[in-house]
Amino acid sequence: MPRVFITGLGFITSIGNDAVSVTQSLRELRHGLELYPPFQTPEIPVKVAAPVRGFNTASTDAEDWTFPAGISIKRELLRGMSPHVVYAWCAMQQAIADAKLGEADVSNDATGLYAASGGSPYLMGHMLERMHKLGVMRCSPLGIVASISGAVQFNLVAHFKIKGSSCGFASACASSSHALGFAYDDLVLGRQKRMFVVGAEDGNMDAILPFAGMRALSLSTDPATASRPFDTGRDGFVGTGGGVVLVLETEDEVLRRGVTPYCEVVGWGQSSDGHNVAISHPEGLGLRAAMTNALRSTGTAPETIDYINAHATSTPIGDASEARALRAIFQPSGARPAISSTKALTGHGLSLAGAMESGFCALAVRDGFMPGSAHINQLDPECEGLNIIRTTLSQQPKFALNNVSGFGGANVSIVFKQAR
Amino acid sequence: MPDAAPPNPGNAKPFLATPKPFAPEDEASLREALKRCSPSAFESAVQYRKTGNPEHVPAVVIGIIERFVEPDLRIKLKDADDDLRLIEDLGIDSLTMMEIVILVEDVLQMSINNDELRNLRTVGDVKMFIDCKIRGLALPKPTKFLPIEQIAAVMPIQPPFLFLNEASVSSSGANGKYKISGQELFLQGHFKNNPVMPASIMLEALGQLAVLFLLEGATPEPGKVISSSMIYFTGCEGVRAHRVCRPGDILTLSIKPKRMKMPLATFEGAIRVGQEKAAIAEEITLTFGYAEAVVPPPAPPAAEVNGTAPTKPTTPSATPLRAAASA
Repeated sequence: MPRVFITGLGFITSIGNDAVSVTQSLRELRHGLELYPPFQTPEIPVKVAAPVRGFNTASTDAEDWTFPAGISIKRELLRGMSPHVVYAWCAMQQAIADAKLGEADVSNDATGLYAASGGSPYLMGHMLERMHKLGVMRCSPLGIVASISGAVQFNLVAHFKIKGSSCGFASACASSSHALGFAYDDLVLGRQKRMFVVGAEDGNMDAILPFAGMRALSLSTDPATASRPFDTGRDGFVGTGGGVVLVLETEDEVLRRGVTPYCEVVGWGQSSDGHNVAISHPEGLGLRAAMTNALRSTGTAPETIDYINAHATSTPIGDASEARALRAIFQPSGARPAISSTKALTGHGLSLAGAMESGFCALAVRDGFMPGSAHINQLDPECEGLNIIRTTLSQQPKFALNNVSGFGGANVSIVFKQAR
Repeated sequence: MPDAAPPNPGNAKPFLATPKPFAPEDEASLREALKRCSPSAFESAVQYRKTGNPEHVPAVVIGIIERFVEPDLRIKLKDADDDLRLIEDLGIDSLTMMEIVILVEDVLQMSINNDELRNLRTVGDVKMFIDCKIRGLALPKPTKFLPIEQIAAVMPIQPPFLFLNEASVSSSGANGKYKISGQELFLQGHFKNNPVMPASIMLEALGQLAVLFLLEGATPEPGKVISSSMIYFTGCEGVRAHRVCRPGDILTLSIKPKRMKMPLATFEGAIRVGQEKAAIAEEITLTFGYAEAVVPPPAPPAAEVNGTAPTKPTTPSATPLRAAASA
């Protein structure tokens, strides 16, 4: 079976806009949360978010947006974009440069792109308001492609001239892990030689606040502790946005191009709770099955896993459910892999989460560290017996596992391995 | 022949015959809508909205087009003639055209149908179109682009005496191109061992473009069709040659009608090679007639079965236009 490697990464995240600053934030447990200015009004009980820095996309008019120095996007391209597409576009450029891909490597029949985002509720809302107010024919001609949930791959596939497989995945917070999993399958099946995997979210008011209705958001006013997965005092997640791109390639391509990969993607597994439209199964049955499938299909024994990047978003039910799933998988063999949720630092990126945290795993495996689970004051007793690391360990994980869970009870686990 | 159909009266409704009162909040929303356009476009829009005077419209339309053109191409609009093409010269695609339309509708308080847009290919087309809509006039015939096959199909003049390779014809004039191939028979003797395009032939080419305009672009009296077999040269004024033209040169020809009253049509014409002026004619006058007035005797009797005169002339016998200028 062909082996698959990660050869390039691009990051626009709340903890850094490139791999170097992201690595530093992960090692030093620097978070990206703040009192988000648009939330600081009395009607909004949520105060903290983790926005990306250096981009101003507050206007509904894309031509008003400002970007960090060195980034400029032609109007012709910008008009079909929403904030998350801009982030993904920037991350894509980083990933291409990082993987040392030339134009011909990016644009050919054997190179595809799988993506995930929740679309742009912000621009969608603006467009619908305009339609109701000014009439159907006054909608922006590109309002749809800029705002529906496929926006990110429509834009990237067209602008980077992708010729291979392309589609989007919509399993909410599991989306971009599904994208990575199916990209892996396409490479293993010989359908493609190279796949870009993209996760992106606007992470602005309209993308985050609708979660307040289901009481899923933290109401904390302290950015330093608002996101605290596995802590007894956790009270909901903190929203974030951004864009992350991973480059996956077959072993043949890695050897042909002579590049050094971050790590190997060994395989993946998924499973569904079949339980509730929005709430995790209390025993974490679906996530347990996803991990079991991932370990079995990759022939990995639980005790060989060194590091787990947990999905734990800092919600009371979700974190406990994942803790039970982890106990069920690892305790029987006495394995004590290091476990952390980097969402304490980044906030929860929804469709972005799987790609972002897979990217973190790739950095950890290559650079030899395991980021700590920050902001835990008092560990939830549900985690008893689990090795939840509070500080960053300077040890190189040989095997790492990333978990995600999405609405509808969709769960995905991916196994990464040191490249040799 | 759908182009000759009378314009849909539904398209000819006047807009803003009496302007709505222009409130301060209208000015604010106009300023917001035109914030990326030149100040002069905004000023013209304010004037138009206050007075309803269509003279302000071209500056608004050009200002809006300019705003949607990539900055490095905007220079082309600075001293643009009306033949500047939206797609080829300005890089405006159909989606950008929709953005332009939405902003024009918003700013000029008008509505434009999708099918009205299909024929707008040049800046001149757009200006003419908006002007006609605002004044409540019938829309002009769209610019027609004719390759050599179509030119040869309608012209009374045929190869080897046809000096047009391609042409575009609108209601305001015609443009054409002719590449001097070097294979033209007369170049063997004009001059000895020194092939130079005769100025008389260059004038002939302009005259042929004028013939094409009469057949494809001119709006004759209602119900009349100009007969291709009744167009002849009558005279010219102010013809000057500025540049020696040789094999390999591409002549860019243009003519514009100056006066047209049955049976005479007078044009001005010019020829360029690249940016260099090659020749001008201040006036070229042709005589023409309508097909109904003198129906050419049809050769096969079968054409007369129902006794009605054809509305479109049958293929005429070639009657070359004769240029009288001396080389």
